[in-house]
Amino acid sequence: MIKLEKVVQRFYEGLEEGKFLGRKCPVCGNVEFPPVYACNKCGSLETEWVECSGKGVMKSIVMPAALSSKPEYAQMGQYAYGEVELEEGACFNAVVKGINKRKRKELMPKLPVPVHAETFQRNGYKTVVFVLDEE
Amino acid sequence: MGKIGKLNRSVSIIGVGCTPFMYTVDNEETNGLTEGELFGYAALKAMEDAGVSPQDVDFYFHGEASPLNGSNYLTPNIQIGNWFGMKGKGSIHHSEACCTGYLAIDQAVNAVASGKFDCVLTGCVEFGDSVPAPFGPNDTVETPKHPYKREKMTMDRFLATTMWLYDRCYARSMMAPMELIYDDAAEDYVRTRGITAQQMDDTLNWMAINNRRNAAKNPLAIERREFEDIAKEKGFPDVMSYMRSPYNPRMGDFLRMEGVERKCDGAAAAIVCATDMIPQIAKNLKHKPIEVLGIGNAACEATTPHFEIRATEEAVRQVYENTGVKPEELDIFFANDFIITSHLISAEIAGYLPWGEGWKYICEGRTAYDGDKPINTNGGRTSFGHAHAASGLADVYECCMQMRGECGERQVKKLPKTAMLRGYGGAQNIAAILLRTID
Ligand SMILES: [Zn+2]
Repeated sequence: MIKLEKVVQRFYEGLEEGKFLGRKCPVCGNVEFPPVYACNKCGSLETEWVECSGKGVMKSIVMPAALSSKPEYAQMGQYAYGEVELEEGACFNAVVKGINKRKRKELMPKLPVPVHAETFQRNGYKTVVFVLDEE
Repeated sequence: MGKIGKLNRSVSIIGVGCTPFMYTVDNEETNGLTEGELFGYAALKAMEDAGVSPQDVDFYFHGEASPLNGSNYLTPNIQIGNWFGMKGKGSIHHSEACCTGYLAIDQAVNAVASGKFDCVLTGCVEFGDSVPAPFGPNDTVETPKHPYKREKMTMDRFLATTMWLYDRCYARSMMAPMELIYDDAAEDYVRTRGITAQQMDDTLNWMAINNRRNAAKNPLAIERREFEDIAKEKGFPDVMSYMRSPYNPRMGDFLRMEGVERKCDGAAAAIVCATDMIPQIAKNLKHKPIEVLGIGNAACEATTPHFEIRATEEAVRQVYENTGVKPEELDIFFANDFIITSHLISAEIAGYLPWGEGWKYICEGRTAYDGDKPINTNGGRTSFGHAHAASGLADVYECCMQMRGECGERQVKKLPKTAMLRGYGGAQNIAAILLRTID
């Protein structure tokens, strides 16, 4: 059933509880994360709530620099940006903590490397970031 | 993935117009120019070039990336139609940020191919460097504006408004989607082609050098001083030592300052006409029409990994399949390179430069106007300038002029017959446009 539903609010409420909520397609099994209404893989009009484990891999690494960072991000310590794929299959761009330039050099030949999700407090809400597993 | 059909009839670009790209408020002569004056100039030049009057034009498309911030307008098309003789004619405004000027051609072509209109104007204007002047302090988009005065838009204010390009629900909150625009393509290129970071740095620098060599020969470009001359003046032994110096600081993981757009003010326009109607509508046309063979479209919102690469692959695939044109038929290539890496990766995706080898062509200067694989002969976004919405049509202007052999000093060696323009922008729209001269 297609529902007029507050998906975004529920996603952020999930993060407050430490849950990483996505939407799973009942037809093809594709998981949309962050969650949206429909399936972008098979075109199913409906998806259902699913709790993701937060486990995944990082597949590319870009270091932040003057143009690509903001003072607020300093609270995350060392971090990089890149493609993250959840074990449920969703792929998206995300922050991954625990990476500096030296670490990046070490990780590049090992990609993809395991990561897991955690929350990061921003101004008025929690968002999702990732952390290298080995840290 | 997406599919596109054949146009219902052949459509051609028969006239083009473009203002110089400039910092209007920095010069007495241009300080105080308005939207109607910039757009109107480009529109009238395009009509003159096509040999048509506003009365021959059925409809007009208006593009502007940031009309509220840059012009204090919600419906910019309505405000300026009377500046170029089109009072009362229908029009529409569209806004796809830095891709606006490419989709401006797409929309105009669709409107004519459908049969609804025979001849339309498509134009774009942007004040990327200035905002309407306030009457007092604490100015916001809501406070009243002066009728024509403008003031410099600070980089801080500009960057605050570029946030509007990203989804409020997820992309802004997750940070990485917004920040990857600067270096994602460079990282991907280094990793997938197996070149070193140093080779990438050299390639980025050579793209900036080549763009500037082109702009040096283009009177409409905003930056015309060659890096070679600047390096000499600053006492560097060669141009690359200068490009690697603190004069060209690294601002991204890979990106340096001269690989970033020069945001500025400008307008450009084109007259788009049903090819079979040219003898009736443009009786005095003095040059060959340029047919729009097809346009591929894709869009990847910024949480999508490698959004620029994936969307470019899709748009390029569509337009090649749709038209049957082969990469080896391309004689000239344009890429919206407000992040200069775009110029390399889109030329490779389009097969204009061989996969994994494009960086060598660039470093050998083969992609400058006098090389065998010319790219962005107007100077690109880093040297021609970037008046966001208008840039795509400025590329169309340059491309048509090259195909007509009217580029003077920067005319490419072999008269181009087939061209591709890769539009990009707005976090992120992509268009792949194929043009061919009609003999
Ligand atoms: Zn599905």
